[in-house]
This record gives sequence, structure tokens and C-alpha cells, in this order.
Amino acid sequence: MFISKQSLPRRTFLRGMGATVALPLLEAMVPAMTATAKTAANPHMRFGGVYIPHGAIMDQYRPAAEGAGFEFTPILKPLEPFKDSLIVVSNLDRPGDDDSHATASSAWLSGAIAKKTEGQDFHLGTTIDQVIAKKIGQDTPFPSLEVATEDFAGYVGGCSPAYACAYMNTISWASPTSPVPMEINPRVVFERLFGRPGTGAQRAAHLRQDASVLDSIKADLDDLERNVGANDRVRLGEYLDNIREIERRIQRTETRNTTQVTELDAPIGVPQNYGEHCGVLFDLLAVAYQADLTRVATFMMAREASMKTYPDIGITTPHHTISHHGGKPDVIKSHATLNTYHVSLFAKFVEKLRNTPDGDGSLLDHSLLFYGSGMSNANVHGPYPLPLVAVGGGVGKGHRHIVAREHTPLGNLWVTVAEMYGCDGQSFGESTGRVQIT
Amino acid sequence: MKRTVFLVATVLWVVSFGFTVLRAKNPQTGTPTVSSDPQYAAVVKQYCVTCHNDRLKTADLSLEKLDVADVAAAGETWEKVIRKLRRGAMPPAGARRPAQTTYEGLTAFLETALDRAAVSHPNPGRPLPHRLNRAEYANAVRDLLTLDVGDVAALLPADDSAYGFDNIAEALGASSVLLERYVTAAGRISALAVGDPDVAPGSETFVLRQDYSQDQHVEGQPFGTVGGVLAQYTFPLDAEYELSASLMRTNVDATRGVEDPRQVEFTVDGERVFLAAIGGSTVGLPGQDTEANRPKLSRSDAIDAQLRVRVKVKAGPRAVGVDFLQRSLGENTRKLQPFRSSLDSYDASGMPHIRTLSITGPFNATGPGDTPSRRRIFVCRPTSAGAGQTPTGQQRAAGSAVKTEEACATEILSTLARRAYRQPATEADLQRLLEFYRAGRRDGTFETGIQRALQRILASPKFVIRVEREPPDVAPGAAYAVSDYELASRLSFFLWSSIPDEELLNLAAQGRLKTPAVLDRQVRRMLADDRAEALITNFAGQWLQLRNLRNSVPNEDLFPAFDDNLRQAFQHETELFFGSIMREDHNVLDLLTANYTFVNERLAKHYKIPNVYGSRFRRVMVTDEARRGLFGQGSILTSTSNANRTSPTVRGKWILANLIGMPPSPPPPNVPPLKESAEGSTPVNIRAQMEAHRANPVCASCHQLMDPLGFALENFDAVGTWRARDNGSPIDSSGRFLDGAMLNGVSGLRDALVSRPDIFVGTLTEKLLTYALGRGLDHHDMPAVRKIVRESANDDYRFSSLVLGIVSSTPFQQRLKGTDVARELRTAKSF
Repeated sequence: MFISKQSLPRRTFLRGMGATVALPLLEAMVPAMTATAKTAANPHMRFGGVYIPHGAIMDQYRPAAEGAGFEFTPILKPLEPFKDSLIVVSNLDRPGDDDSHATASSAWLSGAIAKKTEGQDFHLGTTIDQVIAKKIGQDTPFPSLEVATEDFAGYVGGCSPAYACAYMNTISWASPTSPVPMEINPRVVFERLFGRPGTGAQRAAHLRQDASVLDSIKADLDDLERNVGANDRVRLGEYLDNIREIERRIQRTETRNTTQVTELDAPIGVPQNYGEHCGVLFDLLAVAYQADLTRVATFMMAREASMKTYPDIGITTPHHTISHHGGKPDVIKSHATLNTYHVSLFAKFVEKLRNTPDGDGSLLDHSLLFYGSGMSNANVHGPYPLPLVAVGGGVGKGHRHIVAREHTPLGNLWVTVAEMYGCDGQSFGESTGRVQIT
Repeated sequence: MKRTVFLVATVLWVVSFGFTVLRAKNPQTGTPTVSSDPQYAAVVKQYCVTCHNDRLKTADLSLEKLDVADVAAAGETWEKVIRKLRRGAMPPAGARRPAQTTYEGLTAFLETALDRAAVSHPNPGRPLPHRLNRAEYANAVRDLLTLDVGDVAALLPADDSAYGFDNIAEALGASSVLLERYVTAAGRISALAVGDPDVAPGSETFVLRQDYSQDQHVEGQPFGTVGGVLAQYTFPLDAEYELSASLMRTNVDATRGVEDPRQVEFTVDGERVFLAAIGGSTVGLPGQDTEANRPKLSRSDAIDAQLRVRVKVKAGPRAVGVDFLQRSLGENTRKLQPFRSSLDSYDASGMPHIRTLSITGPFNATGPGDTPSRRRIFVCRPTSAGAGQTPTGQQRAAGSAVKTEEACATEILSTLARRAYRQPATEADLQRLLEFYRAGRRDGTFETGIQRALQRILASPKFVIRVEREPPDVAPGAAYAVSDYELASRLSFFLWSSIPDEELLNLAAQGRLKTPAVLDRQVRRMLADDRAEALITNFAGQWLQLRNLRNSVPNEDLFPAFDDNLRQAFQHETELFFGSIMREDHNVLDLLTANYTFVNERLAKHYKIPNVYGSRFRRVMVTDEARRGLFGQGSILTSTSNANRTSPTVRGKWILANLIGMPPSPPPPNVPPLKESAEGSTPVNIRAQMEAHRANPVCASCHQLMDPLGFALENFDAVGTWRARDNGSPIDSSGRFLDGAMLNGVSGLRDALVSRPDIFVGTLTEKLLTYALGRGLDHHDMPAVRKIVRESANDDYRFSSLVLGIVSSTPFQQRLKGTDVARELRTAKSF
């Protein structure tokens, strides 16, 4: 078992400034926000997708028995307390023949095959989170939130050869050609959710000012488009679409009333400790769900080909290196330890959701979260069988191990999930049908 | 699933790539004669088509139907052929080769044919609209407003990269999240630059890496101090600010290094503003800050609570420091306990470490102060009611007060817009800005108006996106020269990663920038300018993969002395070194051979260079031949190693991709990694392990190219320390070059590269050109690359000759007009 490093929140948050710092600051740091409205009759079902790279040691992951009441395996053990709202889905298969890190992370929520290119003509498929966001995200200030832990800007050799970096830098795609960037800095996520520091009036003024700037710069785009080639015009058109999207968000934010204040400290930036970093981001996702700032979130806990080491739990060899364990028992053991550690961080998030009241139940009751990877046995970049669990009230009756038929395309799961959110008739990449999970 | 298909293709490719025995002679040393087509058609048929025919399609390549009489018709394929021939990599081992003169003659013939075609039918390519990446954005703000935006990663999200660089237009797409961040950044920056009196207090925290040792003096800190951090911070207003720090704690929440009394010093611009006594008997006795306020203050919290002071600071950029006073010269844990790692998360003894420095404020602001950014922005002051002054009776009578303010605002905003938009602002541009000015003026002061308009400038796509116009009078598919203003931007973003300055804009306005003599002078001026530092951090940082260094974490048990100080020193050394080649305009081959480098005490100790003391970097002669040039530098050697050992494969791959220009194909799936020697068994050195690994023929064919290059560096361990033995057995640093020539150690590798300068210089040129254009190169660009290398050879391969060659090249000076959308999508191929 690993030794978990004590989490020290004060290193991570700007806490404890109250004693010597004047009040305006406190007000600046503590955003006013709505606690969840009761809406008991019809709670919103949140969606979450949490990604881990490099798959898992499957024989320590997959429960032996099929069906209800399975026994928890070592890697899944941290999730046992939530067994009544948890299912394990086995026999899912990643599409395509090219087993790379890029095809793994990009396939996870899309079920699609990444087009092999390093250039601008990258092409994947719309991911399940974005399909849902288009359906249920329009009522919240943020249709969706995307976060990650590893900033690979300028890291050379950090992407699969012959594949655009976009395939590995995000797991969320708004369309087959629009990767959604993932935010790494908790402080930035915080300020996106709650605004720049300032009083309520100041934050509102910032929003109004941003809105008028956005409205005005459309004229500049028109100027630019006038004299460029057709392809450049397509590019600039994307900017215009995105400006309109931000404008809609600002309108939604403005129409919200702030009735009740929940205290939350502003994170200071990117914590050095990995566990803390994940913890802060999970906290922000939880509060965003709680305050109904968004109902859809994705989190890439680490990036494919991650060279991160985990000295806290005694792993000083990079994750990617360990994942190519070569069948060596001690390396397999390290990888399983790491798998378990990641699950334990996710379990803390699940616990937080369970402890947060929401309407007639808890946030967990009104969530459907997926935790998994686009790889199976990372030693061979294997695409099958993928490790996947689903947690939350959305799974229906819990403590079940669903064994789909062999080589069920990943996309089939997302077809089913899309239907659960009222998005019928969708297909995801190579999907061929559905997977019954409820 | 059909995985076998991929595997077979890989094997074929690998086999075709395999052994190389013969060597193409250096083209600089003799010009082989270009003879008639029929002869070369026969050569190609005899030596190439036996494998590369329509039936076998070895490595997915067939030359069978290609017409040697019309090389340009299949330029893309022939460029692939040339690349292999130039490096002596084809035909493979065992296959017959033509006589060396024929071999070289064919290569030269193909090149000449393609180069001629490029002259008659230039294809300069077409970069897409180019969003400023975050480094460019920060530099542009710095040059527009004389303002340091601080941590730009906190303002803008990470950029995707392609072709090895993060300034590639294709990869710099838009999304609502991203644009939202640009708008928000514009709001913050305009408030900071103007000195918005209503700016809300905020907090900035600087976090130190845990493996950063703090027992030595830090460059820039006051003498007689050790450790800590010196942070550059722009104070928004003349006001009070709270400076606070926290100390490193162990896993059990105990502050490290407080058994004995210590003094923690806070400084602003080198002046001490606060001295806190901690440790020893004061532990747990936080003075006035007691139970009443903090009933549950832990011992460690109590210590941190003492590291807090509120001070008055004038607005503008300042260096804020926190450090420990040195108690005695004898106290130095590194000397007493050289193997205690700062990374140890359990040991609470030793030296204390600063963990964070926070700056919070402003409070009780007294005014915007006199800052460089305000001086830059307010090139004009309204003679009247600006910041609350009463207009004179005369002005009031004439009704000119408002007019004067507007005239002033117009002057300020047109000046800013011209530089931000990189060309004169149009009347429409100005009216849009004045609308924002007027709205701000109505809500507040003259300065409020300027601030609003400035946000509008910074958020404008005309600032954030580089767009190049397409003239209507040029025929579709034809090449045309970019405008003078566009050329000014291409130059400044290439050499400075920033916007053009006044001089460039003026020359563009006068239409003189394209005059060769003017261009030459400007390039030399720009290279000499401080802003050319961007070529070091952005170009060299990515070409040499220095940016990867921050992710290198050598195993602390095997390399206990490695810390962040050494990591930073590695990076700084190579940056200074590359900078010296660039600024002193050396032959770029000196990157491999120079007999000097830059070290401070920490790094000199690592390299065993005597008589270097202190934290300051200085230039030293390298007397140890092995340490010469980049191959002797810890930055390269460490970032191409694994955490626990060297990796000849990774080093070889690094050399192939970055110095030789022939990046190996990715490994096929299903390859087991190296087995480390099992515990208790006889230690095996890395070469023996890898040779066992190469018993697998699939692995062998590629690794036979990479590993022998990497083996030449085996005398340097995973953190770049010289070693004669590995695991007890002597190091065998013999290797082999692509063409089969044997190499002996690092010197042999260096000599092999220097003796074939067109390979290294050509590769560097390709990298620089990719970076300069912000797009991937394709076969159309190769004639330009060859021309630059040829001309540079006549100027001793000076750094400036490469840069001048690039800025005067067709792809840099021209642009291709599109025909239709489908064909405009460049299917760029990576070489």
C-alpha cells in the first residue's frame, strides 16, 4: 500500500488572510454565488468524465464475477464505500488499429479514430460531454468545464509522432475539428467561475465591459475578413462563433441572482503536489456542480505519455516508463499502486459529492460520472478491454459488474449515455449500437 | 482488429531504412557534374526500383513510374529520396551501390532540377491567420506598454504545438474559452498599465519548487543571505501591500529547519523592509498573534504567521525578495551533509526553506504613481480637466476643454493602435476606440476612458491575430510579395517573438524595408537588440528541448546531489551559450565545438571546473575536450536520460531528429521495454542490456541507427557527470554514424557532424525556417533551405548568415494566393 502524503490545504489556498487583511479583500476573495436551488422535483443530472492515462493492470482492476454484488478488486477498492451507486463496465474496445497515446486519449469520450496528421486537418468526433453540454449546458453560465493537470506547452516529444498534439492535450471536442483546451491552473478556473477579484458590483462591471468589448471587436473581424483568402476566412469565422458563445455566457451570468453565499477560498495557482492539484480541481468541479455554474465537466488527471513521478507514494520512475512494465512483477506492482492512487483521488471527489446536499438528495445522487482510460494494458498500448467505472445516481441500481459482449465499441456506451440525457439518435465514432447499463 | 497491417508496414519501412555503409561525400567539397537524364534514369532503375517498385512498394514508396526527365513533376517524392541520399542512408546495407561519383552526381542532379523548378515556379506557401501564442502576447504587451505581465501562464491557456514549436499557426486555433481569456487578460492588463484607482485588491503567489536548495546565495539577492526567491512584480498603484511568506513543511506538518533561531528578510528592490526572527526559542510563541485570534494555530502556522508585513510601495515594476540571513560562513548543510536532499519530505532538520511568497494588495492607495507604462501610454496630457483639475476660464469659455481631451485621447490611442495593430489605425479603428474612450470618460476620468479603449485594443483580433492580406489583383495560385507592414511583422515575430518597433514601422511606411541593404541592416540591428533573447528562450528552448528539462526528475537515491538549482543552472548555461553564438555571430558549428561555456559555482562543481565561486554565471574556457559544445552540457544530457540511467536510444533519437534531420519513425506497438538488471543478479551495463534488446529484429533495424549515436555519449551519466565506469564495468563509448563510419566517444561524434556541415547546418536551417514561418515545411521549401545553406557556407556558416538567408528567402518574403478552399489546406509533410 502507498503512504498518502498529508494534504495541507493552507499551501494551496489563500486562507487565513482574514486576520490582518482588510475586509475588501475578503469580499474580493469570497465570491457570492447561489447555492443550489431546491428544484427537488427535477434535479439536474450532472455529467463528468475523468480520464487517467496508460490504462490499468486489468487483472487487479476487473472484478472476477459478473453481475450484482461483485467483490472489489485492489485497484477499485477506494471506491467501495460508494458501491451502491457504482457500476463497472467491461469489454469496451477502443476503435482503430493504430495503438498510440494520441489515439487512446482522443478516443475515450469520442469513440472515434483520430485522423493521423500533425497538421491543421486534425479530425476526431464530438465527444459525449460536448453533446450533453449542447443539450443541457445552455441553462448554466458554463456549458461545460474542462480541466487537466499537465501543462505541456513547448514540451518537445510530448506528443505521439505523426499526430497533432491536440489529440493528447484534451479529451473534449466540441466538434470533430474543435478540441476544447483544458485548464491547468486552479486559480484561473476559480476566476473563470467567479470572476476577477472585486466586489459584486465590480465583477458585474467587468462583465458588462467585457460584453461591450466583445460586441465591438466583431467589426474588427469584419475588416480582417474582407481581404483574406477563403481558408483564412474560415479560420476567422471560428473566432466570430466563439465570440458569440462568450456573449451568450455573459448574458446567462447576468441574469442569475445571487441569494446565498457559499464560502470558497481562491486557490493560489498550480500546487506542486500532484494530490493537492487534483484535489483543488476536483473541489472546483464540485462547487461548480453545486452552484449550478455548469452541469458538465471533464478532467484529464494526467496526460497520455505522462512522465510524472509520484515520490509521495514512493514512485520515482515516470508513469509512462512504468506503464511499459514488460511483464516484470515489481513494475506491474508499481503500476497497480499508481492505478489505486488515482482511484483514491477520484474517490475523494465522489465522497465530496456524496456529502454535498442537492435538492432532495446529494450531488452524487444527481450525477453520472465516468472514470476510465483509452488504454487497457499500456505495456503494449492495448486497446482492449478498457477499464471503466461509472459512479452516481445516474447508474441506477449500483454494485453491478456489467460485462458487455466482447469488443463492444466504446462509442456504444456514449450512445446510451447520450440517450439518458435526451440526446437521441447520436453516434460516436465507430459505434454500432448501445450498451445497456441501467 | 487488423493490427498486423500496421506491423508489417513498419517492418518494411524499418528494413528499408536499415544498415548504411557508404557515405555521400560532402557536397561543399566538390561539385559533381550534372550529366544527362538517361544515365540517371538507368541508375535509379538499377539501384532503387528493385525495391521501390509498384509491386513491392517498399516503405510505401515506388519510384518505378517516375520520370527522371521531369523531376519537378514528383518533387515531393524526390525530396524524400534526396534526404536519404544526402545522409548516405540509401541503398541499404548489402545492396549494391553505384560508384561514389555517380551517387553524388544523382543527388546533385535531383537537387538542381528541383531548385531550378522552384525558381521558375515559386511556391512560398501560405501561413494561416496566426494567433499570438502566450509568449508572443506577453512580449507584445511588454513592447507596447512597457509592462511585464508576470506569469503569462496564469493569463492565457497553454498553446498546442506542432512540428516541434508552439508558434505554428495551424496549431493556434480558437475556442470560446481561449478568446474569453484574451478578453479578460485585456481587462487586467489595461487596468494595470493605466493604474486603475479602483482596482480591487488581489493576491499573487510565487511557489518555489520543493527540490530547490536554499543553503546558498541566490544571484540578485543581498550579500550575506542564502536561499529564498527574488520575484519580479508590477505594483498597480502607490499603496500598501502585504508581503507574506510560508516555509517548507515536512509530511507531518512540521516546519523544516527551525531548531535554531533564524532571521527571514523581506526586500523590495534590494532594500530591507522587514526582518522576522523565527526558530529556536521563539518557536510556538507568535507574540501578539495569539489564542484570541487563532485558537487553533499550529506550531507551523504560528511560524508562518510571523512572516507577514504590510509596507508602502510605489507603483511600477519592482523586485520583491525574501531570504534568510546567513548566520555564519561555516553553516552550510551542503558541505556538512552533502547527501541531504531538499526533496526529503520527512526530515525536519537542516536549513529552512521558503515555500511561497505572496504579495497582496493594493490597500489604501494614494495614486497611480509614476510608472514606465503610464509614461509610455500618456504621450499627451490634456491641458484641462483630466484627473480632476479645473479647466481654465478661457478653455471653458471656448468650450475647448472637452475637445482638448478628445484630441489628446486621439493622439494616445492612434499611437497605441498603430503599434498594436502593426500598421496605421484606420479612421474606423479610431472611431471604435474613441467610443470606448467616451464611455469611460462619462463613467469616470480621462484616464478611465483611456483604460477602456486600451482594453478594446488589446482584445481586438487586429492585435491578437496576425492576418496577411490577399491582394485582389493577383491571379489565384500565383506567388506575391507580402506587404511592407506584413514583412515588418514577420521579422519581429521571428526575431523578437513580438510586435515591430517604431523603426520597422517607419521603414515599412516609407516602403523601404524590402531594400536588401535596409533589410540586412535591420536584421543585424534586431539580432543585437535585447529582444532577440526570444530566439534563445523560444527557438533554442524548443529546438534543443531545454523546456523539457523542468520535467526531468533524476532519481533522488541515485543522484542525491541533483536539485532544482542545478536544473536551473543547466538551462541557464545552454541559454547563455546559444546566446553567445548568436550575439557574437559565430559559425553555428561552434554550437558543437566551442571551447568555452558559462558556469556558476554550483555548475562548475558539477563539471569539476576549479576556482569558480558564487552564484553569478561567468564565461570560462573548457579545457576538457569532452565537455566542448552542446554535447558536454548537462541540460542536453539530463533531458535525454531516464530518471535512473542514461538512454542511448533517447540521446540517439535526439541527435537524429534535431541535429541530423532524420527523425526515426515511432516504435511499433507491442514492444517490451528494457529489463533492468534484476536484484541480486550480476550487474549488466546498459550496452549489454540494449544489445540483448536488439536481438529482436523489429527493434534492431531502427535502434541500429539511434543507439550507436547515443552510445558515443555514454561517458556522461544521466545528470551529465563524466564517468569512466558504469556498474563496475568500463564504459565503451564507441558508436557508429549513419553511413556506417565508426565513432569513438563524444569527440568522434562531434567530428562526424562537423565533417559533414551541410547535414547539421541544413537541419538547423529547417528548424529555424519552420519557426520563422510558423508552419511546417514541405517539399516546396527544400530548395530555399538548400539555397540558405549554400550561401551561408560562403560566410563561414555564421549565425547571421542563416538568419539573413531566411529573411530574404522566397517563403519568408512571399505568399501564395489560394485557389479554392480544398486545395488551400496544405497537406504539410514533416521531413
